[in-house]
Parts: sequence; C-alpha cells; structure tokens
Amino acid sequence: MADSAVSQAYRSVPRPRRIPVIPIVELALLLILSVLPLILEDYLTIFVTRVLILALLALSFDLVWGYAGILSFGQALFFGSAGYSTALLARDLGITSIFIVLPASLVIGLFVSLALGGFLLLGRHPPTTIFVALGTLTGSYAADRLARGWYYLGGQNGIPAIPAMTAGSYAVVEGPVFYYLAFATLVLVYLLCRFLVRSQFGLALAGMREQKARIAFFGYRVQQLKAMVFSLAGAIAGLAGGLYAFHEGFVGPNMPGVVFSTQIVLYALFGGVGTLIGAVIGVIAVEIVSFWLADNYQQVWPIILGLLLLLIILFRPTGLIGLVVSERERVGTFGRPPRTLPRIAQEGGEEDQHAAP
Amino acid sequence: MESALNAIFEVLSFGAIIVLVVLGLGIIASMMGIFNFAHGEFVLLGAYTTYLVHGAGLPVWAGMLAAPVVVAACGFVLERLVIRRFYAAPIAAMLGTYALGLVIRESVRGLIGGLYISVPEPIVGSLIIGGVQVSRWRLAIVIITTLVMVGSYLLLTRTSFGLRVRAALENPSLARASGISTNAIYAITFTFGAALAGLAGALVVPVFSLFADLGIRFLIQGFLSVMLGGVGTFEGPVAGGAVIGVMSAALPWAVAPVLADVLVFVLAIVFVKFRPGGLIAGRRF
Repeated sequence: MADSAVSQAYRSVPRPRRIPVIPIVELALLLILSVLPLILEDYLTIFVTRVLILALLALSFDLVWGYAGILSFGQALFFGSAGYSTALLARDLGITSIFIVLPASLVIGLFVSLALGGFLLLGRHPPTTIFVALGTLTGSYAADRLARGWYYLGGQNGIPAIPAMTAGSYAVVEGPVFYYLAFATLVLVYLLCRFLVRSQFGLALAGMREQKARIAFFGYRVQQLKAMVFSLAGAIAGLAGGLYAFHEGFVGPNMPGVVFSTQIVLYALFGGVGTLIGAVIGVIAVEIVSFWLADNYQQVWPIILGLLLLLIILFRPTGLIGLVVSERERVGTFGRPPRTLPRIAQEGGEEDQHAAP
Repeated sequence: MESALNAIFEVLSFGAIIVLVVLGLGIIASMMGIFNFAHGEFVLLGAYTTYLVHGAGLPVWAGMLAAPVVVAACGFVLERLVIRRFYAAPIAAMLGTYALGLVIRESVRGLIGGLYISVPEPIVGSLIIGGVQVSRWRLAIVIITTLVMVGSYLLLTRTSFGLRVRAALENPSLARASGISTNAIYAITFTFGAALAGLAGALVVPVFSLFADLGIRFLIQGFLSVMLGGVGTFEGPVAGGAVIGVMSAALPWAVAPVLADVLVFVLAIVFVKFRPGGLIAGRRF
C-alpha cells in the first residue's frame, strides 16, 4: 500500500541531485537553539528548556511510530515512571548527583518499557496495532490511577519541591545551565537516533513498517526487532522524565497519564513522523503557539489545535515537515551505498530494496 | 441478603450503562473496522443536548428523546465530511477520530466551563421489588438498554437492511457488485452508532452529572470491552461490555477502589493477549 506510494513518488521525482532539506533544517535548528539562552530572558529560557525536554519525549514516540510502526500511546508512562523514581531517589535517599539520577532514569525507562513491550509485542500471536495502542494506553491510564491513589507517591498532589540536580558540589538549577544540559542531551540522543535509523537496522525497521511479512521472510525476527526499538524509545522517554522531574522540581500524577501520552502523539504527528526532526519541530511549534495564545485564547486554543491536527491527518499525513521535505528525502537512504553497484543504486537505498527480491 | 441483592442491582445497572455505550462503539468497529476514538465525545454530546433541552425549560425526557437525533445528525455530518476518508486507513482513523473527539470535548468545555452540572432524573423515586429498594431511573436504564439491544440485534439479523449491512461487512466488493451501496450502508451504520452513543449519554447524565471529561471515562472501558468481546460480531462487544461493566462495579466491593479500576483493565488486556479473538471468537453473526 505505502510501498507503491513510495515507488510512485520515487518515479515522479526528477533524477538530478536535489539539495537535501533535512540537514539544512537540522543545522538551522541546532544553530538557533545553541544561542537562544544568550538572547532570551531567563523565564523564557526556562520555558524553552521544558520544550526541549518534551522534544526528547516526542523523539522517542517518533522512533516507535514513525520508524517501527508501533502505535504507542504510552510514552508518558516511561517518562512518568522515571520521573517519579528519580524524584523518590532525591526525596528519600537524598541522591541528586547528575551522574546517578540521569543514568537511573534511563535504566528505569528501559526496564519499564522492556516489561510492557515484552508483554505486548512478544509471544505466540503477533499483536494487532489496535491491541498495542490500547495496551499502552491502558498502561498509561493504570499508572496515572495508581500514582493518584498511592499515598507514598504523594497521591493527587504528586511529589513537590524536588531538590536541584547536582554535579559534584555544583547545583544544576533551571536557567541557562540546565538549558545547555537538556540541549546537549537532546543533540546526543538525536544523533544516536539519526545514526540508528539510517543504518542497516533502520532499513529493516522501515521495511517492517511498510510490509511486515516481507521482512519476516528475509529472516528478521520482526517482533523482537519491535520490542528492541520499543525499549530503546522507552529509555529515551525515561531520560526525558528524569530531566523533567528535576527541571520542574515537581512530579504529579498527570506525568505518566493518558492526557500527556496523547499530547505527545499529537505533537509528533503535527510536526511529521518518520523524520526525527519533524517530531522536534512539532513540539517546538505547538508549545510556542500555545505559549502565545494561552493568555488570551486559553479556551479556544485546544479547539484550534484539534482542528489543525485533523486537517493535517486528513490532508498532510506527513505533518509540518512534509511541507518542505520531499517524499524521497523523507524516506531517506540507509546504510552505506555499495561502491561497486551502478550509480542509480547509490542515489537511494530504497531502489535496491525494490530490486533485490 | 438484602444488601447483597442491592449490590447485584447496582452492578447490573452499571453493567447496562457500559453495554449501552459499547453497543454503538462495537457496531462501528465491527461493521466498518474503525475504532472511533470520538465515541466518548458522542456520549458527551448526548449528555450536553439533554442538559440544553432541560435548560430551555422543557422536561428532561424531551431532552433524552432529542439527544439521539441530534447526535445522529452530528455523526452523519462528520461521517460525510471526515470519517469517510478514513475507511482505507484504520490507523489514521484512530488518530483522526481522536482529534475530532478533542475538538468536541474542548468545545463543550468552553461552553460549560470546568463545572459539574447535574441533570435531574426524569423518573424519580424508587420502588421495592422483592424486598429490595431499587431506584426507578436505574431500573429504567436497565430496561431501555435491554430493549435497545434486542432491537439492534433484530434489526441486524432479521431485516433485509440488516442483511445488507452484514453483506457490506462480510465482503464489501461483492456487496458492491450485487448492487448494495456500501457507501450509504457505512454512513447509516455510523449514524446509527452515533445515535446509540447519544442515547447512552442522555440516559447516564442524571447518574454521573455533566462535565467535559465525561466521555474519557467511557473510552478506555469501551475499547477494552470491544477487544475483550471480539471485533466482528454483535454479541462480542455486548458480552465484553457486560463483563467489564460488571467487573468495574463489583470489584470495588472486594479490593480497594483504586486497585479495582486498574485490575479490571489489566485483566482484560491479559485476557486479550492470550486470546486475541476475544470471548466470542470466529463467529460473525
């Protein structure tokens, strides 16, 4: 289905080499974000820091949905569990060292997602997309309810007044320092994801998303591959959760909840899934517009957001990024182009994927 | 003994509410293969219509009669404008209907604010059956649910219209080749599902009162019921709804309410994991 759409778009694109748009967008964003704290006032820097952390979360969703085709409505579950765990580490054990809490949040996100992903994705019957969507949604809902009802986790009020993260004797407080921490994390994770989805592994993922059966016939263990990506994304979401908890100094039961989970899905779809940078742009765009409109149009804004989203899903399934990036570039190339093959194979890995069988 | 009977009636009436909500959802999911994430918001719209009619000075039951009609009209318009485009892409349908639901929910929130508005029951008081005091309105819900359920079942299995609907479900291209307009059938089915949701909203609003997030409460429960029962049958979602509804109402008597809610969902998911076909698998009508 999407297979033929891809090859059709491929044929209609003129052959001469085009200037790639995605690297330009990435570089521009990198430049803008790296100087922002020097320009912005402090309260805006804090706001943008939060946006960057949410971008990390949206990135994790893009990885599972845009590349592996797993519709996860549970990214906030990993985000929230890691947030709560690090908050407990700080509150009950007094551990705030950055070298412990951030790896800890990563590991917690990894384990929770491994457990949930293992349950939902592995097993004798390959699950349907709907089942995975509902399963993750249910996980998120259950976590929200448990966090609300559990006195140890602060119930409705969550855990307030989390102490600042420390690096040695230095306290990482919100502001430019935290901004650059979040920014560096985002860039690192982004580069890792970028490398991953453009490698041979990414090719297998894209193939799996487009046509699961064919990839299975090639000998890949499709469900294991999915579970791997799912837990990797869970680890990223966990990392984001750890950062978020210390940045806000607060975790609440909304953090692992359904509303937040779906919000991230909407952000990523808005920006455009399957490009990585689209998810980041989606978060930034939606958050900035909400920030502007929140004062005057607080009630109308969610309605507008919903309508915009509906229009995007109906008419521009590739999202905002689809406005500037061609279909061919969005699909991308994978692995290293083999040198001995004719020129045409070097231009796009997609071509030899079609030619191979 | 008496309190046990009372509890059974409570459980029964809550089960009936869930079945009513799930019925529309299940029909749309089974007939059209679309998981309508805006279904909860259709329920909300039904509740809101009832409130509006009641607020205009008319009796509550008039609002309850108007609700299915109004919601069906909304459903029809949305199907023609939006849902129709999603038939080929069930995943986009989930996301699209979610966005649709978001628009409806936030619009209602804008209209009523963050308030909880109570709407009176059209039939007040209680009556005593076999030594058990039951609320008349809850009894009415149980009876209406049963009637609607039986009516829908007969409509789908005993009429020529139902035959067409089933044909469109079983084999759309063959149905089209036989001169059945699947397009029209889908529109009618979706409208019918929306009407059922509207009715459910109208009936439950006196019990739960009206607030913007009324629909969310039913959404996950509804979907789990459909999955639990099995997509593609009429009995499946109904049975699933009954199981989920009864469990949600009965478990808080046994374990802490917070755990009960979570436990129901987890049990349902685990069940579906090991029996993907659901309770009633493989049989289509």
